[in-house]
Amino acid sequence: MDSGSQRPDSLPMIQHSHRTAHHVDTASDAMPGGIEAHPLEFSGSGAEFFRVWIVNVLLSIVTLGFYTPFARRRTAQYFYGHTHVAGSPLEFTAQQRRMVLGFLLLVLVYVLYKLAADTGQTTATTLILLTLAALAPWFWGSAMRFRLGATRWRGVRLQFTAPWRKVYAASWPVFAIALLWIAAGLALRALAPELPPRPAGTRGGPGLSLVTPPMWGLAALALVLSLLCVIRLEFNYKSLLVLRARVGTQAGRWKPAYADFVKIWLATAAVFLLFVVLAGVLLVAFLGGSAAIIQNATQGGVGAILFIVVLFFGTLFLFFLASAPARAYREARLFRLVWSNVGVSHIARFKCRLNTRRYMLLRVKNIVLSLVTLGLYRPFARVSEYRMKTESVTLHVKGGVDQLAGELVAQQGGLGDAVADAVGLDLVG
Amino acid sequence: MRTAASASLQARWFDGRSSHAQPVRITLEPGPKGPSLLLHPQAEGDAARRFTHAQVGWPEAWSAQRAQRTVLVDLGDAGSLEIDAVAQWNAMRAAAGMRAPLAERMQTRWRVLLAVLVLAAVGVWAFYRWGTPWAATQLTRQVPMSWETSLSARALQQLDGAYLKPSQLPAERQAQLQQRFAALGGHITPALRRYPAYAPALTLAFRAGMGANAFALPGGSVVVTDGLIEAAASRGLSDDALLGVLAHELGHVMHRHTTRMVVEQGVLNVGLGLALGDVSTVVAMGGSLLTALAYRRSHETEADCFAVALMRNAQLPTLPMAELLLHLDGERGAKAGAAQKAARQAPTEGEAGWAQLLSSHPDTRGRAERLKRGQVEGCERPSPQR
Repeated sequence: MDSGSQRPDSLPMIQHSHRTAHHVDTASDAMPGGIEAHPLEFSGSGAEFFRVWIVNVLLSIVTLGFYTPFARRRTAQYFYGHTHVAGSPLEFTAQQRRMVLGFLLLVLVYVLYKLAADTGQTTATTLILLTLAALAPWFWGSAMRFRLGATRWRGVRLQFTAPWRKVYAASWPVFAIALLWIAAGLALRALAPELPPRPAGTRGGPGLSLVTPPMWGLAALALVLSLLCVIRLEFNYKSLLVLRARVGTQAGRWKPAYADFVKIWLATAAVFLLFVVLAGVLLVAFLGGSAAIIQNATQGGVGAILFIVVLFFGTLFLFFLASAPARAYREARLFRLVWSNVGVSHIARFKCRLNTRRYMLLRVKNIVLSLVTLGLYRPFARVSEYRMKTESVTLHVKGGVDQLAGELVAQQGGLGDAVADAVGLDLVG
Repeated sequence: MRTAASASLQARWFDGRSSHAQPVRITLEPGPKGPSLLLHPQAEGDAARRFTHAQVGWPEAWSAQRAQRTVLVDLGDAGSLEIDAVAQWNAMRAAAGMRAPLAERMQTRWRVLLAVLVLAAVGVWAFYRWGTPWAATQLTRQVPMSWETSLSARALQQLDGAYLKPSQLPAERQAQLQQRFAALGGHITPALRRYPAYAPALTLAFRAGMGANAFALPGGSVVVTDGLIEAAASRGLSDDALLGVLAHELGHVMHRHTTRMVVEQGVLNVGLGLALGDVSTVVAMGGSLLTALAYRRSHETEADCFAVALMRNAQLPTLPMAELLLHLDGERGAKAGAAQKAARQAPTEGEAGWAQLLSSHPDTRGRAERLKRGQVEGCERPSPQR
């Protein structure tokens, strides 16, 4: 499995010629300061990462999951170490001890919550959930501090310098959503017609027929407004991350506007609908083709049960597949938007040429192969998506890459990373 | 050793204060805890800087076949080193007595990977076979009786609202069965108790609905449906058949199987989710589903063992119970369609074995045969110390 991707080691000399070639390519839009173009490169391979990953899985099994923080560090180091920015790889320097402590703390909170929930202690459960909700912006902030603080390039550390006040201010959509739904709940109750008292012992809530058109309208409005809030939150967090990031002493630059994000979400909704319609058509075609089976099935027997089971899981799977292209679409568009419109003060800017259609195809292929191999293809999938994203980005530097001044930064605690892991924020990519 | 360690290597040093690279020469020096690293600046007259083994973040080798393009050595606050001659660096590291961590040896040597794979397989098996049941016993011991009784009260309330109706059985018949149930409960000897301190109040409740059924709720309540009593009567079976079924349900109560299941599921879900979550949630969920079913089957066997022992204590026959089971199974099979029938009545052992994996009860025919003989395979001598 290792021999799949043996390629000769690239020598620094080759890299240099590479660099100058691109310099010539982009000479037409060169500015007086002398701008060099450095396409980002990823030198890892799927087969190699498979070995790294299977080792992580095995050691996680042997240690009952407590290898997780070590596995995360190794994974990050693999991807960072093979990502070359202007000829120099990225460096992941998080301290293992801090990552382990953060992980243990998170396990403790989870166990406490589980205990409270499973033994029916409603007060304690609610209290834990409310505390976690109130701390959510802080968790996000510490995850970003940790992630940037642990990243080094040419010896210079990245930093996330947003004060907690700014992080909470950027999180206003979270609290807006909560208020919105409390208000919507109260309004719905006021709008609801008087219910006849239910006879004791009957089960089930009121039928949908009891929901009046104004109530539907209100619910739809609340849904649209909360979606806008979700988009705003994503925009706020991404812009804060870039604007408050420092490479050495240089600050990040950010150009995208909220409207750009909304446009991408609208287009994503259209793509999603398209694929749902497509899935629906396929489903109808399948049902039409198997009309004979249905007729047999309605007469009872094994066929009926088997058919219903196949139909249920088939539909579920189809909708999972139908949403996958839309999710990949959003990811790719957003990635291109962000990485085409950010930079580092006045010395560097990024350009991204990620092909949305190709990324969607890659994602669908990866999902299918991962399902077929029961997840064993996951490392290959991860490498191929990371490679496509990374290699679509070009860094344009004005005045050379060795002009950055570093600052000594205190390392952040590892809790942020463990939390980021728990809520699915990926360390790389 | 000395000669190997004196070999040197060109590298680029970034001191952490600027992104400007400084050419340096590095050497490694063997030490008791592992090699230390020496940094020789190119400029004349500058003294070499020494970093002890613990001060250096040693990079991992990811593959034995393919060297990384550039290796980074983390020097902490002193910045980092970029090394292009990776093969030379690895040789130098080995010569200086650097011992690779387990993870690195696993990903560069197939033999180590295979050894850990075998170890993991054995470990998982042991965890499933002994670890989880042991943990479940220990944790179940800590669960208070009040939690079990409140859980059953809630469950019975829900069942009464949805599926069950009050029993139509005459009061004197109910009293008769209550009396025999109480007598049966009196035969639970200390040897039969898995949890010596666990002494729930045993109650029998009658309900109509849910077909011919009997089930145990945690905390000592056993519910029997009119359908089951009628089924026994229609077959001309004595009340000993019903008592056998009740003894089986008492087995579930005394082994605290509901509580165990909650605990076992919790341990399994967390363990498998952490260990296999990165592979795929389907594999993790499938794994916990299959093991949960296996545990449920072992619970049924335990309850059967308990029933046989209890009936022997009460000097009652187990044959009527076995006949009732077979009778019910035949009826159920006729109703539920050929699929389950085929699985249950599979002529060959192999097929039955596969169907077994996906069923919650051990196969009924075998069970009934063993109950007829008054012997259940896989019974251990119950020991209260466990």
